Amino acid sequence: MALDASARAAVTVGRPTGELRSLWLDPATQSRIWAHFADVTPLDDRTFDWVARGPAGGEYRWRTEVADAVSDDVRWSAMEGADVPNTGLLMFRPAPGDRGTELHLDVRFDPPGGAVGEAISKLFHIAPAEIARKALYRFRALALTGEIPTTEPQPAARNGGTDR
Amino acid sequence: MRALCWNGVNDLRVETVADPEILNPKDVILKVRLTTTCGSDLHLIDGLIPTMREGDVLGHEFMGEIVDVGRDVTKVKRGDRVVVPSFIACGQCWYCAHDLYSLCDTSHPKPELQEPLLGYPTAGIYAYSHAFGGYAGSHADYVRVPFADTDCFVVPDGLADEDALFISDAAPTGFMGADFCNIQRGDVIAVWGCGGVGLMAQQSAMILGAERVIAIDQYPERLAVAEAFGAIPIDFTKVDVVDALKELTAGRGPDACIDAVGMEAAGTGLQGAYDRVKQALYMETDRGTALRQAMLAVRKGGTLSILGVYGLMDKFPLGLLMNKGVTVRTAQQHGQAYVPRLLEHALRGELKPAALATHRFSLEDSPKGYHMFKHKEDGCLRAVFAP
Repeated sequence: MALDASARAAVTVGRPTGELRSLWLDPATQSRIWAHFADVTPLDDRTFDWVARGPAGGEYRWRTEVADAVSDDVRWSAMEGADVPNTGLLMFRPAPGDRGTELHLDVRFDPPGGAVGEAISKLFHIAPAEIARKALYRFRALALTGEIPTTEPQPAARNGGTDR
Repeated sequence: MRALCWNGVNDLRVETVADPEILNPKDVILKVRLTTTCGSDLHLIDGLIPTMREGDVLGHEFMGEIVDVGRDVTKVKRGDRVVVPSFIACGQCWYCAHDLYSLCDTSHPKPELQEPLLGYPTAGIYAYSHAFGGYAGSHADYVRVPFADTDCFVVPDGLADEDALFISDAAPTGFMGADFCNIQRGDVIAVWGCGGVGLMAQQSAMILGAERVIAIDQYPERLAVAEAFGAIPIDFTKVDVVDALKELTAGRGPDACIDAVGMEAAGTGLQGAYDRVKQALYMETDRGTALRQAMLAVRKGGTLSILGVYGLMDKFPLGLLMNKGVTVRTAQQHGQAYVPRLLEHALRGELKPAALATHRFSLEDSPKGYHMFKHKEDGCLRAVFAP
């Protein structure tokens, strides 16, 4: 698989590893933290259906399975037949001092043809690093506050408003 | 509901928009009682801050009554009269735990818009462009307030709406600026700007024990308000500010200087003209006259406290700070850290926020209010809207 090293991000969350790991593995969490990128539907505790939205109505589907745990790390990968094969790895590391836990997320995509980073950006209309970073930001908010900040469906601007 | 919407550069209209709803469990909906203009709104209205979108509801300094509560709200309730700081803070993250509320890690819904500009996302803020979160503002009948247990402060009986209103932003911003100065016995504090924030910074410096407070501006009516509060006024169009400050401090210079002016500083002379041209050509966002003066005037080893809002100003004499060993403190307001004591100061009459409310308008007349505020007509310090 041609791997895209740029789909990486890290955050530090002021909570213990065990608590964060449990929250991450909660199937409902997966649906919430990837919502900027894909609709994620849990089929059971470790299998998920993903539908990523591309520009102009394009849809890309795959199913992932979380691997058996051999450490605190969480690994998952897309099963056979994925529109965009991919793998994910989330590592937990203790943060210095009283800062809690570091989360290192590495999501790698293998799109059909083309330079990897650029192809992913075109496919999904979002840069790979941003897919990972925003998921971690959303996860951090959920872990600390129990909610994810939003202005939808009530953005300040009227629908169709454009940046000035 | 009715709301004041931004539709493009200098195009403000009151329109009918959808009512806000509870979106997250810690939200409340406020019926806005009073909401006010802030100098920083002018940057948005004039198009100096990118990522505004047509239809954005303006307003980030407000107070009101809670009319609806999310299921996880425990400390405030329907019917409470509350004041809300402009920055949205969760109260749970590392930054909130360290009283750095405007740097909250979790309240920004669109961090990808801001991170490229600042390196990291800050807290979200009401009505301050989408790069700062895209939250709808308070110049409206109703406003949604997230994290109500952290961000809503009940106004004590006996304190008027108009006093509480400015404890949303002008007062905590000014107080934080004075707090940054670490005021010791005998200290002289100079404050550039006698707008809402500057006047509050001056009063705060007095509360915190300053020996003398010097107020710098060009508008006689504003200098008169500062003087009435006990500050020594300096009109920068009439005297050389740095000379005047040296004279007032017998050559020592102010122990701390507070910039409560920011990017649209009015300047005199060549430097002022240069800054105006660069800003007009969008070569830089900021005119830094006040900041440069403060850097020159502050005593050796003193403190420069920056409250004025800046964009990406890239030309200022850093060597002044370095060679004089100046400590620079700055932030957007960490209001949640200061609101409780400010309500007490206001209740005891030590702080007089309501004095900023020089002009009152209905929400329908708010575009007129902004016009008066922007052009400082009739001595307008702040235009207050009552929806």
